[in-house]
This record gives sequence, C-alpha cells and structure tokens, in this order.
Amino acid sequence: MSRTVMIVDDSLFMRKIMRGILVQKGYIVSAEAASGIEAMRNLHTGHPDIILLDIILPDSNGLDLLESIITACPDSKVVVCSSIGEAQVIQKSLDLGAKAYIQKPFTPDKVADVLENLED
Amino acid sequence: MDMSPYRDLFVSEARSHLTTFNELIVRLEESPGDSPAIDELFRHAHSLKGMAATMGYEQIVAIAHIMESQLSRIRSGEFELLPALADLLLEGSDTLARLVSGVESGSNAFEDTAGLIERLATFDPVAEVPPPVHAIPSHENIDIPLETAASAPHQFRQTDSFKSIRIKTETLDHLVNITGELITNRYRLAESIRLAGAADCQEPLHQLTALLRNLRDEVFKARMLPFAIIADRFPRLVRDLARKQGKEVHFQLAGKEIELDRGILEEITEPIVHILRNAVDHGLETPDERVMAGKPFGGTITLTVCRDKDHVDISIADDGHGMDPEQLKQKGVDKGVISPEQAAQMTPEEAYQLVCTPGFSTAATVTDISGRGVGMDAVRESVHVLAGVLTIQSRSGQGSRFVMRLPITVSIIHALIVQSGPFEIAFPLTVVTRTLELKRSDIREEAGRSSILLGGVSLPVRSLRQVLRLPASPETEDALLPTVVCDIGGTLHAFSVDRISGQQEIFVRPLRSPLSCLRGVSGATITGDGRVLFVADASALV
Repeated sequence: MSRTVMIVDDSLFMRKIMRGILVQKGYIVSAEAASGIEAMRNLHTGHPDIILLDIILPDSNGLDLLESIITACPDSKVVVCSSIGEAQVIQKSLDLGAKAYIQKPFTPDKVADVLENLED
Repeated sequence: MDMSPYRDLFVSEARSHLTTFNELIVRLEESPGDSPAIDELFRHAHSLKGMAATMGYEQIVAIAHIMESQLSRIRSGEFELLPALADLLLEGSDTLARLVSGVESGSNAFEDTAGLIERLATFDPVAEVPPPVHAIPSHENIDIPLETAASAPHQFRQTDSFKSIRIKTETLDHLVNITGELITNRYRLAESIRLAGAADCQEPLHQLTALLRNLRDEVFKARMLPFAIIADRFPRLVRDLARKQGKEVHFQLAGKEIELDRGILEEITEPIVHILRNAVDHGLETPDERVMAGKPFGGTITLTVCRDKDHVDISIADDGHGMDPEQLKQKGVDKGVISPEQAAQMTPEEAYQLVCTPGFSTAATVTDISGRGVGMDAVRESVHVLAGVLTIQSRSGQGSRFVMRLPITVSIIHALIVQSGPFEIAFPLTVVTRTLELKRSDIREEAGRSSILLGGVSLPVRSLRQVLRLPASPETEDALLPTVVCDIGGTLHAFSVDRISGQQEIFVRPLRSPLSCLRGVSGATITGDGRVLFVADASALV
C-alpha cells in the first residue's frame, strides 16, 4: 500500500492542513515543497509513493511541472490538488498522467478516499 | 475536522496575500502591461479563495472568487486594469482584510458585502470613461528597487518554523527597561568599586560590562523590524490620496529593508503619513499646473530610508512647486510669529521650519486630505521626542524634501554629558556635530546676537546658563569656553557650557507630569552615583 507522500503547495496553511489529514489517515509525509523548484529538488533525495501537487505555484506553470515530475519519477503517483474546477484543466492533468484530481476545498474523507483508491 | 488549530495560520497567510495584492494593484496601475503582476494578482486571489473555502469562510470565498474572475478577464487581455476596477479591487481587498480581522478576533461580525459583490460582478469596462489621454512619463529612468513579486509572499515563511516564536511587544519593552536599569546599576557598581579601591572587583566588572553590552545588543536586535512593516501600505495610501485629488503620482520607495526599533517605527508612522499627505495635497501641483510649468504630467514622491552609523534618515521628497522662503517669512510676520527683524536674519532653512509653527499653513486652500495645514508642528514634536532632527529643504519650482534623522534605537542612547551651573545635561549624540573650546575673542556681538565663525560659516552661540536662566558663571576673561555645536533642523547652533564631562551610554526615561512640561528637556536618566540628569531637547533650547 502506498504510504509516503510529498505535499507540493505554496501555502504553508494548505500544507499543514493536508499534513494533518494525511497523518490522521496513517500516511507518512516524507517531504513538503513550497515551489516547483523545491519539489524537483526533493525528488533527488527520494521518491515518495504519492505526490500531492497544487498546480498554481509562484515559480512554475503547474501543468509543465506535472510533466517534469512524472518524467523524473514515473513510479510515484501524482494527484493534482487544486481549486481550479474547469473540466479542461482536470482532463489535461489526467491526460498528462495524474492519477487523480482533488478539487479544493477538500474534506479529510475525500482525500483519504482518493488516495486509498489510486490504481497501481 | 476541527479547523481551529489552523486559524492563526490562515489569518497570517491571508494578510500576507492581501498586502502583496495591494502592492501589485498599485504597481500594475503604473505599468498596465506588466503581465507577471497580473498573474501574481490572480494567484493571490486564487490562493486566498482556496484557503477560505477550506476553512469554510463563505463571505471571503465569494469576494475572492469574483475578484479572481475579473482578474482572469484582464489576464486574458479582454481589457486593462482601469482605475475604476482598481478602486473596486482595492475596496474588495479592504473588505477581505476586515473579514480576516473578524476571523482573527473570533467576532465573526456580519459585514454586508452584497453591494460590493454586485458592483464587482457587474463591472463593465465599456461603460467606464477612458482615462484622459496624456503622456505617461516613461518609467525606464525611474530606478525603483522593487522586490520580485514572486518572492514577496515568502519572506515571512521562515518565521513559521520552530526557529522563531511570537513574543508580546510588552515583553520586549520590559527587557529594554531591565537592560537600561542594569546599565545604570553597572555605573553605580563601578563607582562604588572605584571609591572602595577594590582592585579584585575590576576583572568581574569588566566581564559584567562586556556581558551587558552583549545583552543590550541582543535585546535591541530582537526589537528591530524592517521599515517595510510600516511602508508596505504607503504606495496604496499615496495612490488613494492622488486619486482623490485628481493628481497622478509616481511613488518610489527605497530602503524598506532597513531595520529600526519597533518603538520608533510605531511613533514615526503618523508623521510620515502626514508628510506624504501634505506632499500629495500641497506639495504637488495639479496636472494642469505641472504641464504649464513644463513638468511631466504626473508628480513623483520619493520615500527613502538610509542608515548612517547610529542613525537613520527617512527622507520624503516631492517634485512639486516647492516653498518660497520669502513668502513664508512674510506670512510669519503677518501672523505675528516672528518680527520683521527676525525675518530679515532668517536663512531659507530657518524659514522652511516656520511651517512647523502651530497654526501656520501655507496652502491656499483647505482640503479634507491634509486638514487645515495643522500637524507639521506635531510632526516636528514627534521627531524631537525620539531625539531626532527634522530638516526641511526646498527649491522654488522644483520641490521639497523633509528629512527625519532618527536614532536607530530608543531608550538607551549615547549622549554627551555637560555641566551648566548646578545641572548636568545630556545631549543626544544624534544632534551633536562637534565640540569646541572658544576664546572670548572668538565670539562676535551683532545686533544683540552672539555668533562665531566655524569653517567660514557664522552660527549663533549662546551660553547654556543664559538659556536655562541661571546666573552667569564667574569665569575669568581668558578662560576657554567648552562649547557644544548642535544641528537643529539643518542649522548649526552653539551652546557654551561650564564643562563637558564626557560621553556616556544612558537609559532615558520619559518624564511624567508635571516635569513633562519642562521646556528644553525630553527625558531624564539616573547616573551611576544616583544623580538625576536631564536629557536636552536641543531644538527647544533655541
């Protein structure tokens, strides 16, 4: 079962909430990143099982970053987590290889539900 | 899920978004094509919306959402950031700030936001009157050290870790007081050791001195905050004032990373706001007047902070019509503030200081922005209370510059201790430019005023005994007169004293009523042997 998670979100607030949910649900938060650069740097030191990715970041176009992450560590499952609700953005994320799309605001159960049901 | 543990983090992060949002709107108004700024604005509105949705703050979500939609239209190139929309977005940001404060205080007071949301939602760029066509001066030559917008929201991140903690400012004030008292006590101890001839105590005393110095430095460091803490709202303030006045103003801010004691920042905010208001309202001409004078349509106001050794200069300059010293003098005479003889002897720098006289206003009209011209006296007073100096420079037709020279820290200052009659008086080193020993023959008497020549410049000299209404000293004709030269509002004044005892670090305590009514004194300190020593407010001595 996938257990280690990296959270990529520029908002410390969002990272803390997500961490709270994940820890409560029994996941291990192996890394946090506040920017695209930080996310890519973290991937050098280890590949988490799951990457939760916010696609609006100060330093990167989120969809480009999504592609880079998937190329850099194809074994990790990337879940996009964003407040953008446009169907075409969601579809584009999934087309690029994201395993799921969680729209903010999320509930702990919603997050747990999505993560438990990630396809291998 | 219980969201309350995340509330404080929400508040601080939401505020950070809103502060940057305001800065970006003002920046974008100046250079409408700045597409990274538009992306940034969008991102801040978007992040705030997401955060508020997570916390379940529906009103914040609704406003942030509609602001985000309008920004999205600008981003897609549908229209530019029109002033009316900028007004609406700023109003939205203000409302959000109030809602965030409501979250912080837990009051959750209801705020009627329906009208604002309606206006934001129905904003129609076509219905807006296009801005007047005029040459907008090129920004290429203006050197504004703007931080990159992307880095701004992250600057406080490090404080979110366990490496730093929040601390009540009260606690920091206590620490300064205790440190100040310790310094006073060290002087007492040193004095006792000297009198007792206790040589064994010298070594521990040295240790104590060094440790106290460290303690003082660390306590002060803990109290230092970047000028940006108060300055981040100034661009917005200037922008709003200018809009009200129908003026176009380019506001430049430099040195906001420079750190000052929080007590000084607190005291100096209002004076700066006042000078900025005056600059927009009275300093700068109307656009028509500027064009007629061959100047760029928009005026420029520059706020510069720079540090020089143990003091900081905060300078506010405008490129408006400046002040005419002759006109000021005439007005001073008409108002009975000065006599025609005094007017005749005044330097331009002294004439500019007349605007700080209570009730003295030079503006032709009275507006709701700067009030009735009152307040410059309060500005000067605030600067003096901080043991600072206010200097005013101006050139007719070219603009004015107000410079506030302030110590970096409060309470514990370096001072020159002088003796005059029975009194010991401390002059803050920020105002002392040099000391001299005068011969009687150096002093020239002219029209009842004594003066000396210093580097080819004539400056007034007075005996401190005379100023303090003490009997004249019985010194002999050929004795040298120790003299302190002070820079008061950009003009040098010399005070002859009985004795200059030396330089000392002192812990200044404010005086309470009735002593606070004493003229020429801004505080007091206790010396090592328990005597009370007054701290001079040099500007009130002339």
